Amino acid sequence: MSDDILLQATDLCKYYHSGDLNVAALDHVNFQLKKAAFTVLSGRSGSGKTTLLNMIGLLDNPDTGSLHIAGEDVLALSASKRANFRLQRIGFVFQAYNLIRVLSARENVAYVLQLRGMAKKERLDIADRWLSEVGLEGLEGRRPDQLSGGQQQRVAVARALASEPALILADEPTANLDSQHGESLMMLMRELNERCGMTFLIASHDPVAMAAAQQCVYMQDGKVVSPDIR
Amino acid sequence: MFRIYMRLGLRNLLLYPMRTGLTVVGLAVGIAALTFLSAMNNGWLQNMKANFVLTQMGHVQVHAKGFEKSRRISDYMHATSEVDKALQNMPHIQAWTHRIRVSGLASAAGANASVLVSGIEPENEKKVSRLYGFVQQGEWLRKADKRGVLLGDVLAERLSVGLGDKVVLMAASPEGDIASEVFRVRGLIHSGVLDVDNLLALVPISMARDWLGLGLEGAATDVVIRADAFTSVDGIVKNLKQRLDTHDFEVLRWQEIDPMAEQWTMFADVYTWIVLLVVIIVVLAEVLNTMLMSMYDRVREFGLMAALGTGQGQLFAMVVCETLVLVAMGGVLGFVLGAAASLYFAEYGLNLSQYATAFSFMYMSPIVYPELTLNGCARILIAAMVGAVLAGIYPAWKASRLNPAAAMREV
Repeated sequence: MSDDILLQATDLCKYYHSGDLNVAALDHVNFQLKKAAFTVLSGRSGSGKTTLLNMIGLLDNPDTGSLHIAGEDVLALSASKRANFRLQRIGFVFQAYNLIRVLSARENVAYVLQLRGMAKKERLDIADRWLSEVGLEGLEGRRPDQLSGGQQQRVAVARALASEPALILADEPTANLDSQHGESLMMLMRELNERCGMTFLIASHDPVAMAAAQQCVYMQDGKVVSPDIR
Repeated sequence: MFRIYMRLGLRNLLLYPMRTGLTVVGLAVGIAALTFLSAMNNGWLQNMKANFVLTQMGHVQVHAKGFEKSRRISDYMHATSEVDKALQNMPHIQAWTHRIRVSGLASAAGANASVLVSGIEPENEKKVSRLYGFVQQGEWLRKADKRGVLLGDVLAERLSVGLGDKVVLMAASPEGDIASEVFRVRGLIHSGVLDVDNLLALVPISMARDWLGLGLEGAATDVVIRADAFTSVDGIVKNLKQRLDTHDFEVLRWQEIDPMAEQWTMFADVYTWIVLLVVIIVVLAEVLNTMLMSMYDRVREFGLMAALGTGQGQLFAMVVCETLVLVAMGGVLGFVLGAAASLYFAEYGLNLSQYATAFSFMYMSPIVYPELTLNGCARILIAAMVGAVLAGIYPAWKASRLNPAAAMREV
């Protein structure tokens, strides 16, 4: 694996069993991601985008295949080491239910930093800085139910970025947003990618996301059918 | 991390005020009941022990070797001076007295009844037992009044005698001869204790010595000792055994003289543990139910936390902490309520006079004064916390074992 490759997935397969039926959610997926890339995984619902994202994010296990992130064979890690790998290396932005509802925006962003053992003042300063970066200055003390859907997604982006992970995975980040907020969020992520050099992998079939992508990978029936470098 | 677990726990609990409130109230009622029951139990145990010991037994007794087993007057101490010398200046001793104890028969005007004769030193007896306070009619014995007798009120009724009436007491002398003597009733005793009211006849010890032919000034069957506290008893016994020749004397704790009293206290203690266990099981079931509901409501959130890098151990600790917060809320409220009720009744007493007969059988006063002890409080606190941890283990284990991807798909 060359130095500029952050992620290498080889022959990843994942099957779901429904009675006698075996459904291939991922069917021998081969996929790689360069450092500082801004890649969109697109495809219809059920094409396997979220499943692939879950495998890469170490949230689920493939049935077969191998996966290396930053040179490490992550499928060989124990459950606790995987949790630690996620904590240190991966940031997540999910479609919904993104935030811990009893914590304020600031505390949500600082949560991951706290898990990393960062001192209180430092983590709160960083949380405030990233909340300001995503345009939420003045809303740091609000809880998720006091924020709009777009603002919540921005908090999630701030949280994902605050720990400066090697890879940020976003699953349909614009799905619950109106087009204006969706476009604004994508622009924000693209800008942060260019400015901070973080690697983004975004599962989305939103044209706005695809338009912002540096690389767009199309999936169909659990297979990568057209990796296209723009 | 512990602080954020506690903060998360508290906030999650406050997110569902009705559910949390009901659980806290349920816990509070359970803990309050437990605290009050524990204090009640301590109160009547202490009361029972004190009554048992102070009615007439004393904390410690010294006899001639073998007397407690044989109960024969022939096994008496010819001289108690050695015991008196050993007791001089011994710490934790409040007072002591000498007695002559013998079973016999009382007769008066054609009626007979079994009797337990106790020859006492009237002035010293006042310092050791509560018999003096139980004189209901007439007056306490006077040293100079050699033919005076105090009878239990039920015994007097059986003999159909009252103040000033004659009573003949008969008992075996050390040689085995039957000796009888005439006494005049000076007072009637009512203690509420069956053994005292139905059987006891108190006479001056000097008369008992003459009547039963024990002769010598220091002769007695019992030296009865009152300690300053129950906790001093073991030390006194140890001390006495070192100072006295154990070939000639036996030194007995109150529990050894009548094991029933100790068995009652042990039974009451076991009963408290059983009540404690039952309450903890109920509390545990209630908390477990609440925590499981909370856990299933928040499967997505736990999935999210796991996805963000929260370890299994951290998720486990988080749920256990939440359970501890819940139990602490209910526990503190319950403890305050239970302690307040205990302290109120400790001041004014809980009147259970309608059960006085049953109480007297067990040397208990019908008015119970609950006693909140540090030991009792610690026991409840520890049991509640252990219950909380046990109740939290299963939901915590479930939460920590969630597959993040599957958990986040949950609706």
